[in-house]
Amino acid sequence: MSSLLKLDQVEAHIQKFHILQGISFDVKKGGVTVLLGRNGAGKTTTLRTIMGLNQVSKGTVTFKDENIGSLPTHQISNKGIGYVPEDQGVFGDLTVGENMRVAMKKEDEATTKRMEWVLDLFPDLKKFWKKPGGALSGGQKQMLAIARAYVNENELLLIDEPSKGLAPIIVDKVTESILQMKENTTILLVEQNFMMASKIGNQFYIIDDGKTVHDGQMEELKQDKVLMKKYLGIA
Amino acid sequence: MNIRSVEKSTWIFIIFSLLLFIVPFIVTGRSMQFIIIQIFIFAIFAMSYDILLGYTGIISFGHVMFFGIGAYSTAIIMNNMDATVLSFFVAILVAVIIASIVSFIVGALTLRLKSHFYAMLTLALAGLFLVAAEKWRSLTGGNDGFTFRLPEILRESHNLYMLCLIALILFFFGLRRFTKSPFGRVLMAIRENEARTESLGYKVLHYKVIASVVAGVVASIAGVLYALSLRFVNTGVFATDLTIDVLLMTIIGGVGTLVGPILGAGLVEFAHHWLSGLSNVHWIFERWIILYGTVYVLVVIFFPLGIVGTIQSKFTNRTVKGLRDNRKTVGK
Amino acid sequence: MDLIISLTVNGLATGMLIFLLAAGLTLIFGLMSVLNFAHGGLFIWGAYTGVWSFQMTGSFVVGIITAIITGLLLGLVTERLIIRPVYGNHIQQILITLGFMLVLQEFIKVVFGPDQKAVFPPEILQGSFLVGDIVLIKYRLFIIAVGILIFIVSSFILKRTRIGLIVRAGVMDKEMVQSLGINIKLVFMLVFMVGAAMAALSGIMHAVYSGVIYAEMGLEFSILAFIVVVIGGMGSFSGSLFAAILVGLAQAFMAYYVPALSLAVNMLLMTVVLIFRPQGLFGKG
Repeated sequence: MSSLLKLDQVEAHIQKFHILQGISFDVKKGGVTVLLGRNGAGKTTTLRTIMGLNQVSKGTVTFKDENIGSLPTHQISNKGIGYVPEDQGVFGDLTVGENMRVAMKKEDEATTKRMEWVLDLFPDLKKFWKKPGGALSGGQKQMLAIARAYVNENELLLIDEPSKGLAPIIVDKVTESILQMKENTTILLVEQNFMMASKIGNQFYIIDDGKTVHDGQMEELKQDKVLMKKYLGIA
Repeated sequence: MNIRSVEKSTWIFIIFSLLLFIVPFIVTGRSMQFIIIQIFIFAIFAMSYDILLGYTGIISFGHVMFFGIGAYSTAIIMNNMDATVLSFFVAILVAVIIASIVSFIVGALTLRLKSHFYAMLTLALAGLFLVAAEKWRSLTGGNDGFTFRLPEILRESHNLYMLCLIALILFFFGLRRFTKSPFGRVLMAIRENEARTESLGYKVLHYKVIASVVAGVVASIAGVLYALSLRFVNTGVFATDLTIDVLLMTIIGGVGTLVGPILGAGLVEFAHHWLSGLSNVHWIFERWIILYGTVYVLVVIFFPLGIVGTIQSKFTNRTVKGLRDNRKTVGK
Repeated sequence: MDLIISLTVNGLATGMLIFLLAAGLTLIFGLMSVLNFAHGGLFIWGAYTGVWSFQMTGSFVVGIITAIITGLLLGLVTERLIIRPVYGNHIQQILITLGFMLVLQEFIKVVFGPDQKAVFPPEILQGSFLVGDIVLIKYRLFIIAVGILIFIVSSFILKRTRIGLIVRAGVMDKEMVQSLGINIKLVFMLVFMVGAAMAALSGIMHAVYSGVIYAEMGLEFSILAFIVVVIGGMGSFSGSLFAAILVGLAQAFMAYYVPALSLAVNMLLMTVVLIFRPQGLFGKG
């Protein structure tokens, strides 16, 4: 499989703090790559840096053989990367429908089709179409955020902790939907919920103290208790 | 900074202050002396502004109101009482009392607000003072203002020079002490990171209010001296132009340095003098605010540390947070 | 009774003019957290260029169009030269826009001379209607009508069009809007230009309303707009309409009954709002 997104020794600062100190990984086309690591390891910052919301201070970010490290956020997005941030970024005063409308880059047939598909996946969104985004439940907001990222023809989705703060039954639903999307698009997932990550993920990278320290296939990681304890604190 | 370097700079300042005492014996021209007196007065005013902007990170667009309070207190009292030194002291006292009350009320009510609101509210408040000074004709003489008499001793240019110089020196060393005290350290901590200072257990509002009272009182004294030097007062002492003047002085000299505003006052006043001299050459020089405003805008964009700040940062790698590194905090 | 109605009409007219100024301020602030102290400068440039071309051509419509074009161009220049270089640094932005305000104000004096100028409404808008015993001055009704029209059109754009949705979304979460592939800087420039045009429109209409223009008018009038933005809530469009009408009415009634206190009453209103509801009446906490 060819490489879709490649980070090579990426470093980033937030104000004067050196948050990312050497992130390297390779997201292959198709499938789900999971970024694992403790709280504060730099996973969210990694996604934000890919999106151009944080500056790359060193290293390169390559998407489809093009260096996107110094592009502004909107251009990165228009290269075909969808982003679901940790806080979902739902526009609270806009209705569900308006949230979708802001997200849609085109109004052609393909987009409409994707929209129908994603609304079938999340019938709640159709039900609350005219409800303001701020009035949705946590799970519904997550669905809206994912739908927004999916509705455009993106080649890569960055999804940041979709299970955060959700009830287990909702987590299952979100997991299920991501598994379905995986058929059509490549996903880079940050996830603390190991159950969910192991269900969805194909390959994984572990980030610790702002560096990628380990990688491999998800199947292997499930067997490797030592590694899991060392970096993820899971016994 | 270690103790030795502090002492060294203090010696430099003391030597420089002593030199200034000799100046009036060399520069005897009245108009030149008058300009230097104006510089001293505006240096005091600009230093008081530096306490707010440079040390605490507060932007006030209404600082002129304290300057104006000082000027009008003096003028009104000297106008209504005998022209004696005693009434002058009464004027100072009244100015200080009114300025502290007003700055306390304004500070306590509004300093909890975000910088935008505060800047806006102070601009509006200064506007209110300006309108009041225009409307309350019986007391202020409205737009045209009025002249007043002074005791003989204060009319003498030489004495006035010494008075303003002594005031400048006292305020400089006093404020320098103030900013280097533990209290001043807290103010700088607020400038760097307000939320963190609060979470360390300091009552930020409390510190900000005291800073604004100190700045207000010092500004009112500058206003007293200003009225004294002109023997005249009008609504110009509440004008926004003056705010820009003092902003320019503080920023061009270097915020958060105290010496910077003094230097800035010197530069701006000399430029002012020079430009009004040129108004015979071309009428555009009468509109010197355009030049000031433009210089000011350029300085804020390209030279935010000012003269003294830039020199200092060359030596110590110091950054002035308030003006330079205050980019929006990006969440993790 | 007719006194009250006539004061109300005055108040509404003033309120609409303040609204035109405040609407741009509030949107610019909401979108980019920039409080534009130079907004009054755009107002005054609209007034002077509009009046100039109105008097040159004799057509009020041409005057209004001139003012709007001035606003758009000046908005573009201001955004590019003044706001953008210090983007993200609030202290610098606040400091710099006030400086630019004074530069704009002084330049008026250079271009148009320092003296006050008298302005008269176009013939068609002079005089008044008589409804029963009540005198309704035509030009004031015209201002109210224009204000309502602008409010409706802007509301429609904000609510129904994609660009409007983007602006509203940007007020809530700029990063997310960018992540959806939208060039927020371009959006901001547009909003800034439109806000400037509204300020300039307010300027020309106010010039004719008050019958006289002078350079300091911009700063004086923009203080009212600041008050409105605070009362209505920074970033709230409908809040600024409500607050503008409130301030306009307070202004009109106080100016009649207790003229000395007309600015003071609005300041008081603002202070009370700031103390008890710092986010403004319509603002989000």
